[in-house]
Amino acid sequence: MRIAYYSPLPPERSGVADYSAHLLPALHERLDVHVVRRGRTRPVRGVDLALYHVGNNPDAHGWIVDALRKRPGIVVMHDFVLHHLVAGLTIGRRDGHGYLDAMEREGGVVGRLLAHGVLDKRIPPLWESRPEEFHLAGEVLDLATGLIVHSRHVKQRARAAGYAGPIWRIPHPAWEHAPVERAHVDGRPLIGSFGNVNASKRIPQLLEAFARLRRDRPEARLLLVGAVSPGFDLDRRLQRLGLSGDGIAREAYVEEARLWSLMAACDVCVSLRSPTMGETSGSVIRQLSLGKPVVVSDVGWFAELPDAVALKVPVDAHESETLYAALELLARDDRAREAMSAAALDLVRREHELARAADLYLAALEQAAGGADVADSVLSDVAAAAADVGIEPESPEAAELARRLAEVELGR
Amino acid sequence: MRIAVCAPQVPFVHGGAEILAETLVRELRERDHEADLVTVPFKWYPGTRVLDQAFLWRLLDLTESDGRPIDIVIATKFPSYCVRHPDKRVWVLHQFRQAYELDRTGLGQFGEGPPDRALRRAVQRLDRIALGEAKRLFATSRNVAQRLERSTGLAPEVMPHPPQELPYRCDEYGDFVLSVNRLDRAKRIDLLLEAAALDESLRVVVTGDGPDRQRLESLARERGLNGRAEFTGRVDEDELASLYARCLAVFYAPVDEDFGMVPYEAFLSHKPVLTTTDAGGPLEIVEDGRTGLVTAPDAAALARAAGRLRDHPDEARALGRAGQEVAARVTWGACIDRLLS
Repeated sequence: MRIAYYSPLPPERSGVADYSAHLLPALHERLDVHVVRRGRTRPVRGVDLALYHVGNNPDAHGWIVDALRKRPGIVVMHDFVLHHLVAGLTIGRRDGHGYLDAMEREGGVVGRLLAHGVLDKRIPPLWESRPEEFHLAGEVLDLATGLIVHSRHVKQRARAAGYAGPIWRIPHPAWEHAPVERAHVDGRPLIGSFGNVNASKRIPQLLEAFARLRRDRPEARLLLVGAVSPGFDLDRRLQRLGLSGDGIAREAYVEEARLWSLMAACDVCVSLRSPTMGETSGSVIRQLSLGKPVVVSDVGWFAELPDAVALKVPVDAHESETLYAALELLARDDRAREAMSAAALDLVRREHELARAADLYLAALEQAAGGADVADSVLSDVAAAAADVGIEPESPEAAELARRLAEVELGR
Repeated sequence: MRIAVCAPQVPFVHGGAEILAETLVRELRERDHEADLVTVPFKWYPGTRVLDQAFLWRLLDLTESDGRPIDIVIATKFPSYCVRHPDKRVWVLHQFRQAYELDRTGLGQFGEGPPDRALRRAVQRLDRIALGEAKRLFATSRNVAQRLERSTGLAPEVMPHPPQELPYRCDEYGDFVLSVNRLDRAKRIDLLLEAAALDESLRVVVTGDGPDRQRLESLARERGLNGRAEFTGRVDEDELASLYARCLAVFYAPVDEDFGMVPYEAFLSHKPVLTTTDAGGPLEIVEDGRTGLVTAPDAAALARAAGRLRDHPDEARALGRAGQEVAARVTWGACIDRLLS
């Protein structure tokens, strides 16, 4: 089977680019994959199926949606909330009406009015202030002949949005890494947070919890790896919490090898998120594959991690206190950390092996490419047999047949 | 209890799976259960016929019969386990192997086009759903259990079944190697014939019938085995027991077989089994040098193994006796207790 594969790829810096670079060699072993050149939106000839990787970043994924519009196909939804993407495809291309229409489609008249407010700069951009309320995934869902998702969370949201096509859940594959040398970063314990430094990564809450932890544990250290988002005043916050001394270690964007080595140095990794766009964290997958105990927000994909591998912090009024309690527990209890580490490695082996993910892709794509023919053939045989014995198409008996077919996923 | 044993029926074909289902019904009745066999004809080709025929099972209502409830259904083989019942138990003899390990082999059924690939996936999906509904799930061998776990993520309990009842005995360690099997390519009886061609003192008796018979008989002629390879066709129970009782050893080496009752039958006749390293299920009980001889899947190695037993009948006897101890542990009483618990 030959497929056209649309995705950002390195050297683009994005989680989806890393994901595809990791997955593609395993897919090449199983399928004839034509990787489509960035920016090409004209349908590729001679393929059985097109596979589109869609995320919320318009720079990385705008051209992919353009291609999807020309030829529907299977969409890998890396995020469910696509508001930022749609804003880029509309406002970013001076198509204000497109944005108004997209908002109206999802939010009715209220949505259209809010969109006017955004265009007139009367209210802050909704993709920053209220993305969860307006996901704007509708057009992509309409164009998708099938969905591949990484989490039950995104599957449920797609169904809730009325998507009726096939959905396959394929866990994010883990990276097989060579033995990693730990970076030399002091801290007992050393707590790491990887990714952009901003409010949606709950850095304010993390700093607050860590400052409290450090009062009793002066040797504790927080390692923040990632760029500070515009408008987020990290230094001022650190100063206010008395963390501007040696309690914090900082690195901005780091290359892959350094990233692994810094993660390996950590005793605990923290990955908080709110709001969630429905994304899976490649960072957390890396941490689990190193056997690191993780602390995550109790939202989206993160909430689906087994309790044995992750301490989950609800996003509520007590977030900082709960986070402090989680960090304190992991700081004092070596056995809890060891048990979580073993559970993480086991989870990665069971669920996140690359070969397993590639096999699941193959199964999904094979079903997608020929599934309609199979369903038609079975339905036609069953319908003919039913007609032979006088079962009318709209009769209760026909409905019962349809129910039974659906039970074993033989219907359409 | 009222128990329906479900098994597909391939008209005019009667083999190990059919014998198992019939015997299970009989054994249940002997233990005072009201048991009956429910069968539906099965044809798995062409195209999506395999799904149509599986779907027939889905339409059956086995919750009750003649106004009285059926307490349990026990299904054995694809597609009978697609049946719906609140207390469905499955003792898996076979998935539809063409959709799994036989795919893309000479024994496969599905081509490379998208509809065929999708059809294979639909069979797998059907398995996941139908087997996932079972209240208890058993597999007849570790080989079947492992395949099932790999393909569906379900973890069945391993429970071998006893062989058919025959007047098993051992009269001698004679001068022939016996093959008891349906004659189709997957059973690889040609390997035995090729071995006989390499050792002029080796005699073989091939029982059973099937679509590969003509080819196998031609092969025997081409290799000049006249008089040294006897094709008996299907034989009755007494004759089969007599062949087991008189042979030197029993050959059983299908490709990656699920389980197979033949090794147990050989063992109950105190006969060693000749098999190959790629035979699958039989290797769970045929242990090289303990209950039989396991060779590479090539004629020369098989000929050497058969020659070794012919030249050392004491070894054949010792291996056969060790096998008998293994087979004696598998009883209907234990199987039924587990099935119904």
